[in-house]
Amino acid sequence: MSASATACWHCGESLPAVDVPQAVVAGVAHPVCCHGCRAAAEWIDQLGLADYYRLRSTPARRASGRTDARRDATDWSRPELARHVVHRLDGDRREAVVLVDGLRCAACVWLIERALGALPGVAGVQVNASARRARITWDDARCTLARIVETLERAGYRALPLDAAALDDSRRRESRAALKRLIVAGFGAMQAMMYASALYLGAFDAMDASTRDLFRWLGLLVATPVVFYSARPFFAGALRSLRARRLGMDVPVALAIALIYAASLVEALRGGAEVYFDSVSMFVFFLLVGRHLEMRARHRAGDLGDALARLAPMFADRVRADGSLERVAAADLVAGDRVHVAEGACVPADGALVGAPCRVDEALLSGESAAVSKRAGDALVAGSLVVQGPARVRVERIGADTVLAGILALVARAQTERPRLAVAGERAAAGFVARVLALAAVTAIGWSFVDPQRAFTATLAVLVVSCPCAFALAVPAAFTRALAVLARRGVLVVRPDAIETLVTATHVVFDKTGTLTDAHLAVERVEVIAGGDPGFAMPGREGAASVAAPPTRDDVVALAGALARGSRHPVALAIAAFSDAAPTCFVERVRAEAGGGLEGVIDGRRLRLGHAAFALRGAAHAAALEDAVVLADDNGPIAAFHLSERLRADARVAVAALRADGLAVEISSGDAATKVAAIATRLDIGTWHARQRPADKLARLATLRADGARVIAVGDGINDAPVLAGADVAVAMAGGTELAQASSDIVLAGEQLGALAGARTIARETLAILRQNQRWALAYNLVVVPFGALGLVPPWLAALGMSASSLVVVLNALRIGRHAETTPAPASLPLEAPA
Amino acid sequence: MNVLLALIPVSILLLVAAGIAFFWAVDHDQFDDMDTPALLPLLDEPEPPPAPSREPPP
Repeated sequence: MSASATACWHCGESLPAVDVPQAVVAGVAHPVCCHGCRAAAEWIDQLGLADYYRLRSTPARRASGRTDARRDATDWSRPELARHVVHRLDGDRREAVVLVDGLRCAACVWLIERALGALPGVAGVQVNASARRARITWDDARCTLARIVETLERAGYRALPLDAAALDDSRRRESRAALKRLIVAGFGAMQAMMYASALYLGAFDAMDASTRDLFRWLGLLVATPVVFYSARPFFAGALRSLRARRLGMDVPVALAIALIYAASLVEALRGGAEVYFDSVSMFVFFLLVGRHLEMRARHRAGDLGDALARLAPMFADRVRADGSLERVAAADLVAGDRVHVAEGACVPADGALVGAPCRVDEALLSGESAAVSKRAGDALVAGSLVVQGPARVRVERIGADTVLAGILALVARAQTERPRLAVAGERAAAGFVARVLALAAVTAIGWSFVDPQRAFTATLAVLVVSCPCAFALAVPAAFTRALAVLARRGVLVVRPDAIETLVTATHVVFDKTGTLTDAHLAVERVEVIAGGDPGFAMPGREGAASVAAPPTRDDVVALAGALARGSRHPVALAIAAFSDAAPTCFVERVRAEAGGGLEGVIDGRRLRLGHAAFALRGAAHAAALEDAVVLADDNGPIAAFHLSERLRADARVAVAALRADGLAVEISSGDAATKVAAIATRLDIGTWHARQRPADKLARLATLRADGARVIAVGDGINDAPVLAGADVAVAMAGGTELAQASSDIVLAGEQLGALAGARTIARETLAILRQNQRWALAYNLVVVPFGALGLVPPWLAALGMSASSLVVVLNALRIGRHAETTPAPASLPLEAPA
Repeated sequence: MNVLLALIPVSILLLVAAGIAFFWAVDHDQFDDMDTPALLPLLDEPEPPPAPSREPPP
């Protein structure tokens, strides 16, 4: 893992230009981006786990070094706060499930298991990398949850103990059950094939009847668990869709399995011509492999419950009657309580602001990049971040009544109302099965008139030779291959029918912030205004040359950067980042004015940075400064900074590619009209909607759909989640919120918008191959079934033909993505792309 | 063909044994973490971490 000199050794982010902190790991100093990362790296080294840096394949999450996280950690030691998350086992043993944010690659799993395992009293640590959860058991007498959470926080992860209900891990049960079914089907199929090959050879070498029967009973023995245990999901699925009066994919599959098994059983019992236990086992095994891959993709995408746990804070500081603060679990708040929310913390419940004004980041509601000012009486929503505070909130609604919970409910509803396309392949397969069954019935009736002795054999031959295997496999084989190809290209498909919808889509609706742009502001242009004090000089740059000279661009950048470091406001962050390369200067008496800007003293001069009206103390100024961030001293403006959102590197190319592909592209954003218009112009997008709340976006979607459009929605934020859930195809950015990912069909793991157009190509190819497969299966059956019905196909040939036709389908599916392989793809797929 | 009468029960027994072993493995968390074990051979012999420095710097 060679870290280049410009990137942080721990998290891979860019280094500050000056005062680079150094982390000493294994006796060697490495540059890191911040003190949070330094602390994390050195702590990992102290635990003797520096090997982590050698093993990992993805940089770590930037360690926050936040003090409130540390404080939260200590709070877990109080039983009344921890009772929601800790599960009591026998005696002193306790168990909890912790959601670990920042868990990115296998080395993280190793690091966490070692770091926690070394704590005295910890009995067991189990990390599930794809779910990003750790299940920890410990002895309460020797260890506490607080120490565990603290250890994780120290190592640079964010640890969120989950509600005790999470211990009932449905995903783990699901994946274990699926694995067992798969392996039973695999063993059964192998063994059934072995016994069957003896039978096929026996057909040529006149095997005696008792040996033949022995092998048949053996076949029955191994196929029975495959049909009754492994194939149970197909039967359950078929039953479910029949109850809903639909013919889903599971109906023909279940019917085929049941019929072949039952017919073979009857044949074995009455010593008839042939049994097909091998065919049925193989069939089940192939299908289960496809299901298994699909399940793994689904588990990677996260779930709604975890998403909520990340957003809503666990604790709140309740204000007592005497004005002092007490720490309580957020779940224990009641309406009417007053809570104190520190700067940089999240609001624990919906309520109204009382007391001093503050600024909050309400990106979860609006997706808006800039923080909004709040005055006393204004409503605050749970989960929003207090950027500049502190805030004092009178709690009005908690838990399920909050706006945040409302958004989650909207997501859940939109998901159930999503137009479920009956996949064309399913419909075709269901129709095909109906026809085969009719044909088999005709064969049986026909032969019962001609030669009742042969009726059963001929009917079975029709069933097997025309077995919908090739048909049933046509869809999963093509989809399974497409999922694998797309995953290699950084496109995780969560719901496979999205592949079909992706091709038929007519519109793409993009969210702006975080999707087309990368969520950070950037300084676009610096304008030096010579209106300031002409005698101004940079501190530390004494010398005749600079005394009378106007400030240079570098000077103003350095001054503004020094001021901006005093605030966490997004604008300040952008300017601070821009000035990273500039020399630092010492600022005294920094003061932030809400809704205005920053004021401070540098080298004895009072400087202000902010809105023109604030920086110039209300003095008259040019209209051009209105939209800019102005740096001024008492004599007038010194410089103006023009900020803009940074477009994602590949946004322009991606939008052009999608449009070239025949899609109508539009933007639907919660942000202000001017900002949306600016981005739309830069990307040459004609249709855009600004100031859209989640419900407005859903309404827009409904309008489009009413006109017959099929919509791909691309988003990243919490406010996008309902739209994503309601779209025909929902695409979420992997760096976005969990909630968006949990309500999406496709996750762009590589954060590359460009991958979307490529995914469409692959999807189109998949559908083409799928149709080829179906046509092949149909043609094969048209040729073979008449022979089977006439009783001309010997059973071994029927089985061989069935296997061969299935094999052709699988091999054809492997062609998907072969042309596309040449394009560069992300070498490895991280579990979570860097946020 | 008599050898079959011995070999077939053996194959069935092996199959059942393999199935049981696999179920046991799944139930004992052997398949829950498919990432970390691949890394273990790459590690050096773990040194006993220095006990006194367990307390982190402030």
